[in-house]
Amino acid sequence: MTTLTIVQLYPDLLGVTGDRGNVAVLQSRLASAGITARVVTAGVGEPLPDEIDIVVIGNGPLSAMRRVTDDLAAKADTLRAHSESGGVLFAVGAGAELLSAGVQTLDGADVPGLGLLPFRVRRTRQRRVGYIVADTEDGELIGFEDHASTWDLDDGASAYGRVSAGKGSVGAEGLGGESVRAANAFATNVQGPALPLNPQLADAVLRAACARRGVDYTAGESVAKADTLAEAARSDIRRLTAGKKPTVMSI
Amino acid sequence: MSAAKAGKTLRPGLRFVPAVAAGKLARFVTRLRGGGSAFPGYLSNRMAPNLLPTLAGQFRYGVVFVLGSNGKTTTTHMVSEILRAHGLAVFTNPTGSNMPQGVTSALMADATLTGRVKADVAVLEVDEGYAADLADRLSPRVMLALNVQVDQLYRFFETERVADMMLDAAARASDAVIVNRDDPYLSKIDETAMRGSVSYFGASEALVAASAHGLVNAIDTRSDSTGSAARHAESEVVAVDGRKVSVVVDGQPIGVTVPARGLHYAVDAAAALVTAARVLEAEFDADNAARAFAGMQPAYGRGEVIPLAPGRDEQVEFVMFKNAPSLQLNLDALPGAPDRVLMAIDEGTPDISWIYDVDFDALDHVDVVSGEKAHQVALRLEYAGIRVGAVEPDLARAVSMMRALPPRSGLSQTWLVNYEIMMAGRRLLGHGDQEVARRA
Ligand SMILES: [Zn+2]
Repeated sequence: MTTLTIVQLYPDLLGVTGDRGNVAVLQSRLASAGITARVVTAGVGEPLPDEIDIVVIGNGPLSAMRRVTDDLAAKADTLRAHSESGGVLFAVGAGAELLSAGVQTLDGADVPGLGLLPFRVRRTRQRRVGYIVADTEDGELIGFEDHASTWDLDDGASAYGRVSAGKGSVGAEGLGGESVRAANAFATNVQGPALPLNPQLADAVLRAACARRGVDYTAGESVAKADTLAEAARSDIRRLTAGKKPTVMSI
Repeated sequence: MSAAKAGKTLRPGLRFVPAVAAGKLARFVTRLRGGGSAFPGYLSNRMAPNLLPTLAGQFRYGVVFVLGSNGKTTTTHMVSEILRAHGLAVFTNPTGSNMPQGVTSALMADATLTGRVKADVAVLEVDEGYAADLADRLSPRVMLALNVQVDQLYRFFETERVADMMLDAAARASDAVIVNRDDPYLSKIDETAMRGSVSYFGASEALVAASAHGLVNAIDTRSDSTGSAARHAESEVVAVDGRKVSVVVDGQPIGVTVPARGLHYAVDAAAALVTAARVLEAEFDADNAARAFAGMQPAYGRGEVIPLAPGRDEQVEFVMFKNAPSLQLNLDALPGAPDRVLMAIDEGTPDISWIYDVDFDALDHVDVVSGEKAHQVALRLEYAGIRVGAVEPDLARAVSMMRALPPRSGLSQTWLVNYEIMMAGRRLLGHGDQEVARRA
């Protein structure tokens, strides 16, 4: 019997958009496949476990990002080793930005990043809010966006999804792309949270984590009902966004 | 004393007649057309920029602002009722009219054509985003800041911005500032930056510890300490038994009955009591205050019960929430897992990611999930392991399904809803929009 370890980083400070929901979904889906998952949380000053399969880091305000930067720097070597050995990162919003090459803010005090993701962040005055739909290799990525960031990709990197409704964060002024996958690192600005609404993405994350351990992963029957409800919610959002202009606000 | 605070040079007079008349007329017309309340205020402000300060300057006991992420409406109502029980004529703004134009519209509707107010005191629920701006025009005497919760990220993006807006506005209160000592941001208020004296309210340590999820205030992400600063509370909830609550205000114990169960309502009562005490100063009387609570109707949708169907004595209790903290605190306050439950959210709450931050242990099932977000809510409940009877996005059909459950005499159903669904649900049960009329 295999046990995978999921680490949620800074659940209090970077966990304001239902981020523990993403963790719960990974755990439930692994259980449905007969794989046990151990969930460990690591806040500021708390150690990372020796063995890690998936690191989840969620969303929060700029002040929270600044609060964790020193601690994150102390954990950088472990996280880099994890990522370079094919370990999975699943990062949302502010958490994803902390793993990028760095964040240029509007107040001039930039936030350093760990450089584990192939983009650099520019905070913008244009805030993008509303439902978002993007086409990806794993199927439609659907959820809610609420951010004021543009992710400028490194050369050779590409967006995971192409936006069909909403604005997105990847590329010039966020037009066109949303989310980034680089090897087994996943970064997204999709909330909802993303994984309950996107079982196809949750399964892509879990396949990557299980493959690294030489384990087969197929979601089991126990999540079938959740997947039916997710599909209904996805249809609702597709219908609500059809022919609708995204909301952009100035901040 | 308070009367002296109204020593403004601005006085009512004939020069205000055109602006007030235009505003009143515009208000009448927009109401006929079922429109919003902002335009009349906008019109009058344009025609007579001094009108608002002139109106505000006439209240003998001054103007009171109530700010906060959660509980503004309930607490504004409590403060108003306590002041009324002391014989004051109170002006208060209807729910939803908490931005500048709406406040002006409401004030103007209540004033005479020459811009004379009839009340002794104004108790205003004010939107955080406009509090400082409105304070500059209304010169509040007393300001209450209830809490900063992870809310309004959709609007303000950063929780600490909400805290700063409240603290910034609070500095403008001339006499007294009242803040929540259990709130990490508000408890760290810089007393020296305030014009008024600072008082604190809160719940005893034992009560907070006994609450399943504490008080769910936002943690402070910018200071060295994420928790609240140690402060002595001038008004402290010391015991809660259902709706019976004991509060010690300036050393004096007061027993009150709050309109609905829940530690957050008890804390709101502590806030309202000390606020009224600062407004009334030596005239504050504990018996009058207790009497005010005894006669208080629950604010619209907060613990209010209405019949499930005409002629049936089974009731619907609306439990309204707008974010994770209010939903969590309401769930924690349930006396046991309710046996008839509707949960419904529509697009009036755009992002509901936070439902994954809520523990649903207080429920063992939900009979019907409804609203435009029904499938998203049902998905959350599925991952939480909560059994769902039916998912019906259409609210009218969902209400029929709740009515079709086997009838039980003298009991109530629990409807967990956001604001828009509460309004729609009331209409479907045959109770229209009566709040404005009742509170005006
Ligand atoms: Zn039931």
